[in-house]
Amino acid sequence: MSSAASAQLFNDNFMGKFAEADGKQKMAEYGGTYIRDRLRELSFLGQIMPPTNVTKADCQRSVNHDTLVKILDVEPQSKAMVATFRDQAKVRILRGPRVECAFHTIMSEKFQKYEEELLAYEMPLTKIVEENSVKDMQEIIDLIFITHGEAAVQALQTEANGGSVTSLSASTLQGGTPPAEFSVRKGELARAASTDDATVRPLQKPDIVNLRKMLNRNRLKARQVLMTESEFDDVHQWTLEDIGDRIAGETTTDGYKYNQLVGLEYRRTIKTDILREGNVYVFTAPEYLGRYYVLNAPKFYIDKIANLIMFQSWMNVGMVIANVAAVRKMELYSGDATTLDASGILASVSPVAEDSLGAVNNRVDSGVRFPAINGLF
Amino acid sequence: MSTVGKINFEIISSLERLERRGKKVADATLLNPNNAVALYDGEWLTLNSSDQLVRATDVTSVGAEPGNNAFLLFPNIGERGRTDTQAINMLPIVMMGDYEADSRIFDGTAAVAGGAAITAVGQPLKLATITLGSRNFTGLVGSVYNETDCKWVGYVTRLPANNASKLRFLAGWRR
Repeated sequence: MSSAASAQLFNDNFMGKFAEADGKQKMAEYGGTYIRDRLRELSFLGQIMPPTNVTKADCQRSVNHDTLVKILDVEPQSKAMVATFRDQAKVRILRGPRVECAFHTIMSEKFQKYEEELLAYEMPLTKIVEENSVKDMQEIIDLIFITHGEAAVQALQTEANGGSVTSLSASTLQGGTPPAEFSVRKGELARAASTDDATVRPLQKPDIVNLRKMLNRNRLKARQVLMTESEFDDVHQWTLEDIGDRIAGETTTDGYKYNQLVGLEYRRTIKTDILREGNVYVFTAPEYLGRYYVLNAPKFYIDKIANLIMFQSWMNVGMVIANVAAVRKMELYSGDATTLDASGILASVSPVAEDSLGAVNNRVDSGVRFPAINGLF
Repeated sequence: MSTVGKINFEIISSLERLERRGKKVADATLLNPNNAVALYDGEWLTLNSSDQLVRATDVTSVGAEPGNNAFLLFPNIGERGRTDTQAINMLPIVMMGDYEADSRIFDGTAAVAGGAAITAVGQPLKLATITLGSRNFTGLVGSVYNETDCKWVGYVTRLPANNASKLRFLAGWRR
């Protein structure tokens, strides 16, 4: 049986399942011969902070509303001191701070389709949407995480600059009173640029070293770096002086295939609408950074009312960057990416709005394909 | 005079017929329950040019009504201090669909502009900045049948005196 016929059988059986006593259930994949529009990628947050499943027993309730938080302990402060034989220790009444990790929902769109129209598809439409929905929700999780990560680095950057949001650009760095680069730093090529713009300069080895230093000099240890595939491609341009002739030769034929880069585990993403090119983040190990919890794994709801089929998926998660000092950022563009947006580039270097995620690549609906066969069918 | 409680807005008709949406809030600090002007459930919001929620009226000016072009008026159905709203800087609103609800965020005695005190079942309701206790809210006030230049958001279906001090109203606009 051809794949197209298999998919048609899937769609036909899909409707038939509703007639069965246990009809509303997931079905096996039949595969397909359809054209894909774009790659979908699993969440990079799951690599930076592996998720932990929690239940309501692990959470705390409120007397004021029906939402849940998980309260996390942060280690208490302590120190030692030198003393004479007759000294006694300074007293510290122990106290460990606590932070809440709040939960919220991530959900797919609510898909609806008339069963008659499902007959017009040779691909397993509902199965495709079901699979893509899970990855779509993971994109939203990454969007939220990047938003929190950016807020964390900007908060410390503001604190380091006297409590005021201060423009960080090539021109301010080259000026008479450059701003402190505490949690955000410009790349080596960006800081030397003659104009403040959104042009992304190549990632160089000193940039990775400087990223490590931003954490390593603060009693933390850099462990993982997050970058786009585009930034990772810059590694293939590193010269003999950066990587030695053996690796230079390997990358020329096979690409860079090691698990670490300058001692850091690297995470790459194709989601350049979430992690915009030019932004590289470095993180500590998860236990110094925060937590990512899954309260309810993805659930799938499907229903059929008369001839209208509806389906939707959702999950409940919570995440918190409890230690804002455990994340730092490198900007490979020379313009200002603070909320001041002094260079007018903020929109091009910040994650796109949620509604704009996943822009369609193909132009089929606009009639752009080749060869173009015209006429109505 | 109404009093503000933990729960200030309760929909008493079917939820499935409603289109509920979460929208980003323009000023995230309003979701902090410790903010002196934190948003309460039952307050009314509109959308700014960036598709973000802002209060429908100027909360600093008692008697202020929605702006001339603020036609999209939505009730906030998320209680003050909800952690899910704070986590993602979003509030749930009722975006589409008619419903009946009880609200504590109203001023039954105020006569704002061409409006009137809330005295009758069937009376139209509009929005204005009101004072409850020691702070201001964007809430419901009474209108009259022939008031022009205002935006009705619903009609009284039960007066507070007969409804445990809550105003019951039917949402929607009918003329």
